[in-house]
Amino acid sequence: MTLPDRSALSRRDYLRTLVAIGGATALSACVSESGAIDIPAGTDDPDSLPDRQHAWNDSLSRDDDGNVQPPDHHVLVPLALLDEPTDETRAQLEDAFRTLERAYEWSTDGLLFTIGYTPAYFERFDDALPESVDLPKPTALTASEDPAIDEFDALLHLASDHSQVVLEAEEGLFGDHDDLNGVAVETDLTGVFERLEDQRRTGFVGAGLPAEHTDVSGVPDSVPEDAPFFMGFRSGFEGSQATEDRVTIEDGPFAGATTQHVESLETQLRTWFEQDSHPMRVRKMFSPEHADENLVGDVGEKLTTTNGLTDERIDATEADARRGVVGHAQKAARARDDDGPPLLRRDFNTVDGDRPGVHFLSLQHGIDDFVRVREAMIGDDLDVMHANNGILSYIFVTRRGNFLLPPRSLRALPRATPQ
Amino acid sequence: MHDHDLDRRTFVQRTGAATGILALAGCLETDDDTDEDEDTGDPSNGDDAVPRFPEVEDPPAAVYRPTHRESMRMLEPITAGEYTLAPMLSYPHPFWLVTGGAGEDDIERVDPEQGRGVHMMFTLWDDETGIVLPVDTSATITISQNGERIGSPHSPWPMISQEMGFHFGDNIPLEDDGTYTVDVELPPIPTHTTGDLEGRFTDSETVTFEFEYDRAFREQVVGGVEYFDESEWGERGALEPMDHGHDDHDDDGHHDHDGDGHHDDDGHHDDDNGHDDDDGHHNDDNGHHDHGHVPYSALPPADAYPGTRLEPTDEADTDLPRSGDAAIFATLLESGSRLADGDDQYLLVSPRTPYNRVPLADMAMQVTVERDGEPVGDADGTRLVQTLDSEYDLHYGASLAALQSGDAITITFESPPQVARHQGYETAFLEMPPLEFTVPEEP
Ligand code: HEM
Repeated sequence: MTLPDRSALSRRDYLRTLVAIGGATALSACVSESGAIDIPAGTDDPDSLPDRQHAWNDSLSRDDDGNVQPPDHHVLVPLALLDEPTDETRAQLEDAFRTLERAYEWSTDGLLFTIGYTPAYFERFDDALPESVDLPKPTALTASEDPAIDEFDALLHLASDHSQVVLEAEEGLFGDHDDLNGVAVETDLTGVFERLEDQRRTGFVGAGLPAEHTDVSGVPDSVPEDAPFFMGFRSGFEGSQATEDRVTIEDGPFAGATTQHVESLETQLRTWFEQDSHPMRVRKMFSPEHADENLVGDVGEKLTTTNGLTDERIDATEADARRGVVGHAQKAARARDDDGPPLLRRDFNTVDGDRPGVHFLSLQHGIDDFVRVREAMIGDDLDVMHANNGILSYIFVTRRGNFLLPPRSLRALPRATPQ
Repeated sequence: MHDHDLDRRTFVQRTGAATGILALAGCLETDDDTDEDEDTGDPSNGDDAVPRFPEVEDPPAAVYRPTHRESMRMLEPITAGEYTLAPMLSYPHPFWLVTGGAGEDDIERVDPEQGRGVHMMFTLWDDETGIVLPVDTSATITISQNGERIGSPHSPWPMISQEMGFHFGDNIPLEDDGTYTVDVELPPIPTHTTGDLEGRFTDSETVTFEFEYDRAFREQVVGGVEYFDESEWGERGALEPMDHGHDDHDDDGHHDHDGDGHHDDDGHHDDDNGHDDDDGHHNDDNGHHDHGHVPYSALPPADAYPGTRLEPTDEADTDLPRSGDAAIFATLLESGSRLADGDDQYLLVSPRTPYNRVPLADMAMQVTVERDGEPVGDADGTRLVQTLDSEYDLHYGASLAALQSGDAITITFESPPQVARHQGYETAFLEMPPLEFTVPEEP
């Protein structure tokens, strides 16, 4: 794999590109670029870590308004089992994960990670998953998509504010790298899993990062400087996110687990930024009222811990549609219930394949929650032209995957019906 | 990263070879030497060497004759499944987006980002009935060159223009000369369909075509622009629908002013009375299509519809009453009509552009009925459903319980047609006050 031309890129962009490339060469380039950064060490006491793999929020940094901030760098590593799971391979996997936990603090300065298993993985067992787990095979959800479906066995999600850490962790698990932040790698995943390089996905999120990618075809110069996401607005306000408790499966053998959906999509940013005006983007992303009342600001800086959607505005979705335009958040918020929003969104931007897009990763109690919210977002029931139906005409779904993120205690090759 | 300025210069140089034509068309005029009608704040006029795009000062809030007639290259229509799609290419030019609301603030002019590229359009029709599909489909366009995709996938805008009627289109920037391949994915059509169209358009199809982007193309489309006499600009009226497919399937790319695929008769319609529905000259485009012929999305004239035609309560000086200059035809189909539920009658409302009878798609409207001053039925109104019928084409309809002569029917436009507009349509069909009709006495 050839490395990018260092002189042609900003430092951050260079680091981002290295994450996208992956591998030992990228890692060493990354280390020499980053120099000696102090990465906080992990723990020898696995019991001190949360039971839930998805318990990230307490370890994430917060923005000035107090919303949790996702880590800057992400890698999704698709994995195919080389052999049927055995107690031996389970132990090997668990050891490897414990190595990561010893090497890096469970935080954005260190490393956050999860492993999730597909419905295809669980098919090998005689018993079906328990009732308490809703994990169907993914299907196309909109008329205009024909997504590839994740049919491999497992997906490893690595996330950190340091590109070096995600690269190093991946190399420690799959490559020749045998020292992770001063911890010797004694067990890795070789022999258990094969890494599917062609389906590897990477991404980034954070104020300013999207605007650094205007060298990528399809990313116009007009992406706002401060925007944390490609489409130009803040996202993930506390008030529009499910809590980790809400998305946790409470009952049954997988108590402490959650489900994950990953929808990979490409975005059309040229028409979004060059043709739609800022008020139009606000209408389509939030709601017409957000634009009329100027509630958002350039990139969402006027919003604090909610996206500003009142119950009244959410109820007005249908009427707004008949008046011509309906907002993405407004529509999706119709799926809130007594416990608030059902999804915990941890999506990030990508330029995989040199095209702008989003890996829309979301956690929810069951996949049916995701489908329900996605249907609210599609808004087939709304009387509105496709081009004015939120952001639908700017996103193009390419891939979908459903995963079970078991509790940490069951994260190593769980059976469909653990005891 | 590309340099826009360099692109512009290269473009000027390349098109400069055709200076004879360009000068005739006034293409190389810049902001400095055009008159005050030029939108001077806009850098994309003139100096991109795309044809200048003069705007009309203070156009009427109605359909008006634009300043010029665009020229385009027609490509061979392609059939896929039930659809036929005819691609058309012109130079990048401004158009207007309706931004979801009523009133003139709710329309937004979109200027091309750069001179290099095309304005890509396509007309989509049902191969079986020949009906142009003025539907809200979430079509996806991907463009590639030498097997490499260019840019991100993209949804074209539904648009109306006087010459092209209803079509899909957008400006697409292109950097290099060469052959481009376009894939258009057409998902199932979500619009409510009736008659012979019921149950149709349920499959996804992909249409692929290629085009050449080169100097010959630019010369053709840039050189073919026809500017009208300034005295006609902004007059109420509309350009004739384009006479598609007769003389424009050129492969040589060399065209003079007469070969750009439009009528050369100066047959524009003036805004006198009664021209809404009786010109009928392109009505025969519905129902058949010969190879290479592109149908125009004209609705049937008013007298082609059955039922009891509703009478406008206020005296109208046009054949059909207008709201925001949209001509609104409304008829009541008797109970037993295939469109009505049970014993109900069916109210069929067919909004169309004046002059060319282009269907006005993507509106929301509702109807309230009063008898002797008292509301009948749902006092909040009944919503009309946008419907595409094999016989009556695009309309908005609802089943209503027996109406009586003398009933007052008010049609309220919750949103004007959300379709994007070419010049001459951008000031019309925006603010649309309600219209009141009366059910006439039995004949
Ligand atoms: C390019 C893709 C997407 C972008 C840029 C995007 C962006 C946004 C933004 C800016 C907000 C408002 C801020 C906030 O509430 O945190 C929002 C809200 C939301 N989005 Fe998206 N989104 C995308 C895709 C999706 C998808 C695929 C789903 C799946 C269902 C989704 C579900 C939601 C939900 C549930 C909300 C919050 C609604 C509530 O407040 O209850 N989004 N999104």
